Amino acid sequence: MLPPQLSAFLLLALPSAVRAVFQDEVGHIDYHYELLGVPQRETTFFHRPRRDAKASLLYTLSDVGVLGAVNPTSGAVLWRHLLNSTAQDAGGFLRAGEGENWVASALGSSVHAWDAVSGRNKFWADFGGEVKDLEIMEMTENHRKDVLALFDESDSTVLRRLSGYDGSLVWEFKETTKDTPLQVSTNVEKVFVISLHGSSGAYNLKVSTLDTLTGRRLDEFVLGSKSDVHSREDVMFVGANSAAPIVAWTDDSLTKLHVNVLGTKSRQEFALPADTLAIEIHAPHLVQSQPHFLVHSKTAAGNTADVYHVDLKTNTITKAYNIPLQPGAGAFSTSSENANVYFTRITEGELVLLSSSSPDVIARWPLEAGEPKTHPVHGVSEVVKKTAGSAGAAYAVRSAVVTSNDDWVLVRNGDVAWTRPEGLTGAVAAVFAEIPESEELAKSLEQEAHSNPWAAYVHRVKRHVNDLQYLPEYLASIPTRLIASVLGTEVSPKAGKPSRDSFGFHKLAILATKRGMIYGLDVGNKGKVLWANKAFDIPKGSTWNVTGIQAHDSIGEVTIHGSNHDYVVFKSDTGKILHEGAPEAQVKTQSTAAVDNPHGAGHLLLPVGPNGDIMDIPTEWAPKKTIVTRGSAGAEDLKGVIFVPNGTVSSPLTSWTFPLPHGQRVAHIATRPSHDAVASIGRVLGDRSVKYKHLNPNTLVLAAANDAASTLTVYLLDTISGEVLSSTKYTGVDTSKTIECAMAENWFVCTFFGEYTLRDNPTQSIKGYQIAVTDLYESELPNDRGPLGDAQSFSSLDPIESPTGLTLPSAISQSYILGAPIQALQVTQTRQGISTRQVLAYTPTTHGIVALPRFLLEPRRPVGRDATPAEAEEGLMKYHPVIEIDPKSVITHERDVVGVRRIVVAPTIVESTSLVLAYGIDVFGTRVAPSFLFDILGKGFNKVTLVGTVAAIAAGVVGLAPMVRRKQIDARWKAPM
Amino acid sequence: MSELTIPSRTAVPTWVADLNNPPAPKSKQNSIPDPPGYPSSQAVSSSKKKDAAAKDSSKAAAQRKAPTGAEMDTLKVKKAWEVALGPVKSLPMTGIMMYMSGNSLQIFSIMMVWMAFKNPVMGILATNQAFERFETETNRPKILQVKVAYVLMQLLALALGIWKVNAMGLLPTTRSDWLAWEAQREPLESSVPAL
Repeated sequence: MLPPQLSAFLLLALPSAVRAVFQDEVGHIDYHYELLGVPQRETTFFHRPRRDAKASLLYTLSDVGVLGAVNPTSGAVLWRHLLNSTAQDAGGFLRAGEGENWVASALGSSVHAWDAVSGRNKFWADFGGEVKDLEIMEMTENHRKDVLALFDESDSTVLRRLSGYDGSLVWEFKETTKDTPLQVSTNVEKVFVISLHGSSGAYNLKVSTLDTLTGRRLDEFVLGSKSDVHSREDVMFVGANSAAPIVAWTDDSLTKLHVNVLGTKSRQEFALPADTLAIEIHAPHLVQSQPHFLVHSKTAAGNTADVYHVDLKTNTITKAYNIPLQPGAGAFSTSSENANVYFTRITEGELVLLSSSSPDVIARWPLEAGEPKTHPVHGVSEVVKKTAGSAGAAYAVRSAVVTSNDDWVLVRNGDVAWTRPEGLTGAVAAVFAEIPESEELAKSLEQEAHSNPWAAYVHRVKRHVNDLQYLPEYLASIPTRLIASVLGTEVSPKAGKPSRDSFGFHKLAILATKRGMIYGLDVGNKGKVLWANKAFDIPKGSTWNVTGIQAHDSIGEVTIHGSNHDYVVFKSDTGKILHEGAPEAQVKTQSTAAVDNPHGAGHLLLPVGPNGDIMDIPTEWAPKKTIVTRGSAGAEDLKGVIFVPNGTVSSPLTSWTFPLPHGQRVAHIATRPSHDAVASIGRVLGDRSVKYKHLNPNTLVLAAANDAASTLTVYLLDTISGEVLSSTKYTGVDTSKTIECAMAENWFVCTFFGEYTLRDNPTQSIKGYQIAVTDLYESELPNDRGPLGDAQSFSSLDPIESPTGLTLPSAISQSYILGAPIQALQVTQTRQGISTRQVLAYTPTTHGIVALPRFLLEPRRPVGRDATPAEAEEGLMKYHPVIEIDPKSVITHERDVVGVRRIVVAPTIVESTSLVLAYGIDVFGTRVAPSFLFDILGKGFNKVTLVGTVAAIAAGVVGLAPMVRRKQIDARWKAPM
Repeated sequence: MSELTIPSRTAVPTWVADLNNPPAPKSKQNSIPDPPGYPSSQAVSSSKKKDAAAKDSSKAAAQRKAPTGAEMDTLKVKKAWEVALGPVKSLPMTGIMMYMSGNSLQIFSIMMVWMAFKNPVMGILATNQAFERFETETNRPKILQVKVAYVLMQLLALALGIWKVNAMGLLPTTRSDWLAWEAQREPLESSVPAL
């Protein structure tokens, strides 16, 4: 006998057991970009994961806070970790000790060390304050490499030396000061802490010299004259671990470069080329390397570089040679092999290898210019000197370059080995767009629609006659298509051009990233990146705040609105930008509303300004709908805005406001999706009576959190009148955790972390991630359409009142405890809404996307008793408070999808299926069939067997027919013997 | 033994009587003609001639007193009543079978429902034919009663079929059956979120 709990659990598990993604669908219906993010210049390097390893790996801590190791040969991710789950501009530090089998990273307030091969955590240490710099001490007293971490704690600078073995604290140097800690550096004997001393705008560089063994301060001095440095960005470079680490800074106008060899008090000045826009300094990080460094100056005309040598005895710096100016952008990188230091210069057309000691070019490879034209931004290189025979030394160079299109490209001896579309990370908005049909067809269809029936008919016949010229081509393609169909192979699309299919699975996914890039993915072709284009140059540190994205399928265009009054309109199939408006300095657009286009099909995006203000609109363009928007950013309220015609101009008028009660803030707002087909207006109960659904498209769910009282109130608002239709209050809610809602049809779900006091035992409570689901019905009674009865229409402004007050929908709620936190809730959409729905959600702890079937979240599940036969017929199961995240319902199956921000869904032509795209850091797309594939054949359908069987039967009939005929004739004519 | 021999003296022996009056043959197939000289050939050949044939063919019957016309009518009405009540006699059996076959849609229950509808309807349509042979000029009013009873019985059988169909959920009697024809209420206003 099974215990009752277990059997109930098995019952729960049963329906979902068949929901698994079939093995043969993996990689066929789903696609996944396993991404790291755009590598940052300071935190990307080649490193040998073991002292005796021949091959090195490529390590990076990206701008979205993902730390990972990439195989430089194939470009495959070996391991990765999401260090920063908020996916802001990360910064962070990543260092590796030469010959060590671990790498150290620091982000926020914690320092981690990771095994270089497996990516397993070696140790981690959390401290107060923020990590400002991280270095590896190459030389210690006990032949161990230790980690130096510089922290900026409130009004003090702390340098901690952590044991490289287990992360334990070796010593700590603490200085209570108002100085801004900048960087830490070390040479063989000493540790240097560089901080900014002085007041804002007029800093001096202060160098504290510490003893490596004890962390005691040996010396402290201020470099240079008063107010030399204006901001921390002026300090260009602080070297470390070299024989003579340097610190370099510039003045505001970028005319002079000041360089100091750490440990000395003197500084040297070097003139920079005129019109220098930015400089970068590259130096080796190895003690045994020659103390050479390179200053890369970017000017408006091009880029140039100077190589400097440091004399170890006198600590003087001399300029060795100049690398001539080349037009266009370029990137330099350093690589050192023992004492030799190599510089690699990558420009748009070529890759040049130079030695630090002489200006002669060692090797030169031409680079093929790709389309679209991109230029290198920064890169890292690894130079290997091959002792070839008589021909002299040969060099092999591998450079991992970040391009202006946010791609990460590995160039091996001038050939592109792989390209990773790392720019897909940090996606902020996405939309599915139909593949545009040929313009000619669209035009002629439009023409037919506008002419009179006879002319349209003639036109159509002419068009079809004209189409006959494609018939031979079509007929010729039939055999290949037939064979491909029978064998189940893919028909290769015509020359890379995506085309629609009869199932509606082939669509375009348009992504906009925070770096101002736009991408077009071919959903039908495993999510291949069709095009990538830069919409705007977003300055480093800020993000493209997309307020609205809208696909216009009839004309094949996509519009994106940004928050700074910027917009871009581009072709969905090529990414070609048709027109755009550059971002302005102030935030001008709070959000956008997709309003009907009065002069054509589709929707237009209407920008809503700050405080929910909308400009006056010409009356013919004025939307007829109520626009629901947030009020000012600080105040927690919602309002509805209608347009009142006033002559030729319509001006906005606030029709209702909904201010939240004091102490509550808007945690999340969910609306019904724009495509929310309802197949049936009622639910048929087990006794064949009907519970009518409350289907009001003008509703939204507002989750309001009260941080002080730890409560969550969920309001259901009518967006025409602003009336509260239903509200629920949950107590004991952790408002700092994710609170999200989703809405569809006549129900909504909200997830939050809360404490639930048991009803039968008030001393006990359950803490956990909960999901609360609410169904809305017209009436509590079956077979009752509510007070409106059989009315054909309803108006929120003219509600029916009953003696007890306003008539409200009957809400049935139920809460479940979830096995894991979920976020990015989304409800599947199908074409006609006949299929059941699933709630898709990202599980951040297990890096997967789970599909919770709607019948599991049913609020009418009987509590405390088994379902009656009538209820069982309806599909209701006994209520079980816990919903475990069944691995079989995880649509990402074994894939590790990191950092999903949002999930978008789109219906297809076949009713059973819904397209899914998840974005954030990774990009993952798949198809889900909540009620199974009832209208198409799966991959398991064996056409070969079917066709073979039919052919065998046909052959049998043909073969046996003469025999049977002869036997029948014999039976008539031959006398029995 | 003695008792057995006594009647044998007074009348013809049993075997002689049996030989002279053989039992009516069970005719299984009307399509197969009986061999020539087979006793009941004329009796079975046509139902119309049956009464007349019964009168003059059988010698044993000839020995009995021929029934009068009134008696014949009573007999015929009696027979007609038997025919009229025939459908209701099979009802319990049909009902049990219907109950046993369940309410799910499968080939058995569908066939039963089909038969349950077809038989009564066909029976009602063939009422006159069913009672033609019992009808005479004199017993017409009585036969009319019988006919009415017959139709009622057939309707009873039909009701059983309807009960079955209803039990199977095929009758559109509940609200849910008409749900698809109910339209969704159209909102007079609409809104668009800009959040």
